[in-house]
Amino acid sequence: MNILVLFFGVLAEVTMTGSKHYTGVGSFGDLRLRVEDDFPEIAHYNYRIAVNNEIMNEEPVLKDGDEIAFMPPFAGG
Amino acid sequence: MVNDFLTEGPVTRDIISAELSKLGSMTDSGGHSVFFGQVRADLSGVRRVKAIEYSAYGSMVVVEAEKIINKIRSEFEDVREVRIIHSAGIVMAGEISLFVLVSAGHRQQAMEACSKTVDLIKKSFPVWKKEIFEDNTHEWKQDYFA
Repeated sequence: MNILVLFFGVLAEVTMTGSKHYTGVGSFGDLRLRVEDDFPEIAHYNYRIAVNNEIMNEEPVLKDGDEIAFMPPFAGG
Repeated sequence: MVNDFLTEGPVTRDIISAELSKLGSMTDSGGHSVFFGQVRADLSGVRRVKAIEYSAYGSMVVVEAEKIINKIRSEFEDVREVRIIHSAGIVMAGEISLFVLVSAGHRQQAMEACSKTVDLIKKSFPVWKKEIFEDNTHEWKQDYFA
């Protein structure tokens, strides 16, 4: 599967990128390992995952073309 | 505007004026409640905030804004209109970073719904803020996990 990963807030700062494309992704678990391997800094931060603009409370089932956002706690308003 | 709910930089007088100019046509509303969120020159230790840099997940802001508006309209049957505009980018201390306008048939629901709208925005808008201090250092604020 081809997956677009987005980083926001402090995660965008520590990864020094707002996004990265991943190809050949097998599952969310696989994706998470690859992201943490590419960007070990994110292990120091709390974050939630959104898939295609929807917050996920459990491990998502991914499909080709999904957009996965790694989001630290919100601070809007 | 970045999208219907996000503007680049502060919510300006022109934007606010444009929103307020629509009120006259809402002849079924008897009360409008407005909230302005402003960047405050907070003191953090010895460092004073000079600006906040907001970043946002734009497409998800649209999704969450629409959820908030639908929730408010279903909970407050007298509400006619809910308008939300949040800043993205740099907003200086003293400038407006959030505009919420709720119109209702009567004042009580206008005021209560406006307050609840602001609470929901703070909890669920995918927006992040970086405080920029007068010495040009910065610090990320973290408030709510969705």
